[in-house]
Amino acid sequence: MTQNELEKIEISTQPKRTNPLANVFDDLVRFCRSRSMFMLHYCTGCGAIELPPAMTSRFDMERLGIQPMVTPRQADILLITGYVSIKTLKRVILTYEQMGSPKYVIGICSCTVNGGMYWQSYATAKKLDEYLPVDLYIAGCMPRPEAVMEGMQQLMQKIKTGEADSWKKYYSHYDYYLGNQQQLFGNNWQTPTDIIGEAESYQLMGPQTLGEHTKILQQVQKPLEPLEMKL
Amino acid sequence: MNETLLTILEVIFMPVVAFVIGLFMVLMMRKLAARLQRRVGPPLMQPFYDVIKLYGKQTQISHGLIHDIGIIMAVGGYVAAESLLPVPGMDGIADKGGIVMLAYLTMIPSLGLALGVGQCANPNGSIGISRALTSMLAYDIPYIIVIFGVAYHFGSTNLIDIIDTQQAGGVATWGISEMPVLAIAGLFALHASLGKQPFEIYIAPAEIATGPMVEMGGKYLGGLFVMQSFQLYTASVLYVSLFLGGGENWITFLLKCFAVLAIPIIIAYLFPRYRTEDLVRLVWKWPVMLALIGVAFVMT
Repeated sequence: MTQNELEKIEISTQPKRTNPLANVFDDLVRFCRSRSMFMLHYCTGCGAIELPPAMTSRFDMERLGIQPMVTPRQADILLITGYVSIKTLKRVILTYEQMGSPKYVIGICSCTVNGGMYWQSYATAKKLDEYLPVDLYIAGCMPRPEAVMEGMQQLMQKIKTGEADSWKKYYSHYDYYLGNQQQLFGNNWQTPTDIIGEAESYQLMGPQTLGEHTKILQQVQKPLEPLEMKL
Repeated sequence: MNETLLTILEVIFMPVVAFVIGLFMVLMMRKLAARLQRRVGPPLMQPFYDVIKLYGKQTQISHGLIHDIGIIMAVGGYVAAESLLPVPGMDGIADKGGIVMLAYLTMIPSLGLALGVGQCANPNGSIGISRALTSMLAYDIPYIIVIFGVAYHFGSTNLIDIIDTQQAGGVATWGISEMPVLAIAGLFALHASLGKQPFEIYIAPAEIATGPMVEMGGKYLGGLFVMQSFQLYTASVLYVSLFLGGGENWITFLLKCFAVLAIPIIIAYLFPRYRTEDLVRLVWKWPVMLALIGVAFVMT
């Protein structure tokens, strides 16, 4: 499956519920989601330097309800601010999979769009969208804090209207993303999070969730064991 | 029969009121922090958005039954405490409880959190909860001394009696004018019990990744947000009842509560964090000393 084909796929959004009260409730939850975004304090590459001014007194992200959080479990948005080396990408994927749904990924800087100035580097992932579903790109090298704020507001708008649901894509097309991950990290790649199990639990299993790549995963997957405590 | 029904209604209604006021206290805390850092700060309904969003998140991560029960204990301890805290117009079951019971109930949330976090096997969480219990051990000593000093002075452990005595005599009989030393020690203990900087050892975002909250996401974190709003409410209302004459009506009551809370919060955002052993040494030295001096004044 090529990138273009993937972009054309539409996620079947949940049909509007028939009960008008339930609709009001859904709208309220969506509105609250858009007005309260906890972003993960995990930044890669050079774009991270644009975030402190966006968070502190000059631009103050807290006005929009955006505040930094320190662990993936608490966070809603994952910011990828700049180039992602292959080593970093592993950590990014581990982090992304531990976040609770609904979760959003923002790619900041040109490096996440197409590799940017690292296009010819052998150690850098070029298009972030091949490994994780990205909701929004903020292009620039690096984008000014104004651009970051503008992007955040666009994401808020997308969440409010219910368009920002690419996290569902990760479950319904897991085979595609896993394939690209295996191409970089080798066939032994596995993460502690059971994505297929989660897809079943969210009822997001699609025809593309399982495939040749998940078969490889199921062959090499070792069950997680608790770490041994040593002093 | 009618009175029983009224009490039941009050017991249901008081935690709800406490929750809403507590959320506005969280808002005030974040607004003050923003103002001190020359920011605009969050909009008016931000704490509501946060809580609704967190409860709207999907998660199938579970660390086991005790983890779930721990959060319920943490919130439930405070919900029970609210029904013992008289507010203007509503006494709930305050006449049956008293401050000794209240002191017990305000310890339950930390213990519940310890149970819940212990199950999630994250080293940051375990470090955080051991620090939380250490700091509880630190601030509980001045807290209990202050409470017993006040109870000795008013000759009652019943909060309704304490508030009535203060309101009957006016400002001159308020706890703060009769026992200023105890009031200062109480404020110190209140600040430490809120877990804000410089006593923030168990949250420590940059050091142990928010400690007890590290594995909490979605509804679990929502439970902790609710718990925080209850915590702010309980601490300030207890202080107002003991030292500032409770509330004659809702306006003065809320003014007093928010003013009391503003003092530790303004101090908090100007300071970094103590180390665990420094915190214990500090809290066992100064507020305990002040509280003992205050009790000595009360007894003579």
